[in-house]
Amino acid sequence: MMRNWLLPEHIADILPATARQVESAKAAMLERFRTAGYELVLPPLIEYADSLVSEGDSALDLKTFKLDDPFSGRQLGLRADITPQVARIDAHLLAHRTGVTRLCYAGSVVHARPAGLLSSREPLQVGAELYGYAGIEADLEIIGLMLSTLRLVGVNALRLDVGHIAIFRGLAAAAGLGSAQTAELFAILQAKDVGSLRLLVADVAEPYRSAFLALPELYGPASVLERARTRLPSLPEVELGLMQLAAIARHLEGQVELSFDLAELRGDYYHTGLMFAAYAPGWSEALARGGRYDNVGRRFGRARPATGFSLDLRDLVRILPERDPARGIRVAARHLPGAAAEVQRLREAGEIVVIDYLAESAGALNCDRELVPAGEGWQVIPFN
Amino acid sequence: MTLTIALSKGRIFEETLPLLAAAGITPAENPESSRKLIIDTNLPDVRLVIVRASDVPTYVQYGAADLGIAGRDVLIEHGGAGLYQPLDLNIAKCRMMVAVENGFDYEAAVKQGARLKVATKYPRIAREHFAAKGVHVDIIKLYGSMELAPLVGLADAIVDLVSTGGTLRANNLVAVEHILDISSRLVVNQAALKLKYATIQPVLEAFASAVPA
Repeated sequence: MMRNWLLPEHIADILPATARQVESAKAAMLERFRTAGYELVLPPLIEYADSLVSEGDSALDLKTFKLDDPFSGRQLGLRADITPQVARIDAHLLAHRTGVTRLCYAGSVVHARPAGLLSSREPLQVGAELYGYAGIEADLEIIGLMLSTLRLVGVNALRLDVGHIAIFRGLAAAAGLGSAQTAELFAILQAKDVGSLRLLVADVAEPYRSAFLALPELYGPASVLERARTRLPSLPEVELGLMQLAAIARHLEGQVELSFDLAELRGDYYHTGLMFAAYAPGWSEALARGGRYDNVGRRFGRARPATGFSLDLRDLVRILPERDPARGIRVAARHLPGAAAEVQRLREAGEIVVIDYLAESAGALNCDRELVPAGEGWQVIPFN
Repeated sequence: MTLTIALSKGRIFEETLPLLAAAGITPAENPESSRKLIIDTNLPDVRLVIVRASDVPTYVQYGAADLGIAGRDVLIEHGGAGLYQPLDLNIAKCRMMVAVENGFDYEAAVKQGARLKVATKYPRIAREHFAAKGVHVDIIKLYGSMELAPLVGLADAIVDLVSTGGTLRANNLVAVEHILDISSRLVVNQAALKLKYATIQPVLEAFASAVPA
């Protein structure tokens, strides 16, 4: 039996009904970004692997397909995340812009390993990034854009979950943890795995031991920030982090269902500050994520404050309402070429005009009208 | 908001009943006698789904259940992706051990540096354990009756759960190494904890207050 129709694991075609949804959602999102002042960039699908993945980012490294370039003799990677590419553009190609730069993008990325059980290995990443402003207003702008983008395509019952990775980093540094122990702690905290956490921090000095043990319990509504103040030591990173989270709470209260999670660190290796994710009922994963990643551009020659968000449109499209295709106008093949000028006029006016070779039904052609001769000219009449 | 809790039959179910009771949840039926896979409770919005122990993390990860109770053994094999494990419930306790046939010189076999044949239902735990010891092993994945493998020459050693040691003794095997203490954990779907915080948090706190010492 023929098997060459089979696609690799976690790779799928997008068929017409879904493709319509994807394209219209993508166009609406990019239009929303454009009107908010975000300029579209189209970074390449493939570039040098060491540009795509910064040193030490083993998670992104494992996700990145690599191949040898016969042209340069160097190793190339298929992009697994567009954000570092956009950071490269801001840091290097647009280095003459010293103020705020807003960029957006929509394109396929490729994952060597799927992010989840049902995830595609070819997500369609759509996102927006803001460079050059360290204030919390930039984070609020990006959060606002993320929420409005999701609402724009019909996702309304949203919950915004906010965390702050600098609080964890500050605690780990103050407790004098090595990089291996920090990485292990990071993984355990993301799972709120309290049993393993107790064992791991058994030898950590106070007050940091109690602080790490408190982190998995510090989630929930804004009142959690007050509890955090009493349970975490007053390090500068902790103070600043809690202050920023409180500012987020003040600004967004009443606009969106809001929750906080100080052990929610699941962003990317490059994140440095506030992190946020949007959830909706019926979804076992976040629909969109983002956060602050200051100074990522340093390795491309310019360190800049940065914040942004992205989503996988392929994933998101599963909850979008179906869109029926627009109905067209049938023209029997025998009427061409006499009708050619009229057909062109209709098409230029935006109508779908389908040439019918086989005398097919209205349903098969998806047409509700047809073009027929009328005296000297042509007219459109109902067809069913 | 509805709450779905994934449980397995047998010891985990029995030992979970007092925890459920602390949260004010009473199952409407006993899964041991009922053939139903979805069991209602006294609370209209809470239901239990009865699945195989090793499937509990999968149900919770996909969001087919909001909460679940799974052994640490099962969670390590699953990998824990997409799950929170906020509570060690201290129930269904046992130990993950290496066992060999009585008379087999395990220490010598390990020292010798040759590859050891290990039969187990827990390949990930076994591989990690022997890698940490610096021993090469060939893992033979079995689905049950592990104790048989050394007796018929299929394996040199087994890695398995031991609670009383009765099955080992009955088959002339001895435990030679302790790998991990196992107990059951409460697992929570990550999105569910955020979206159903108001429903899940009280259950979590009730469970925490009722955890046996």
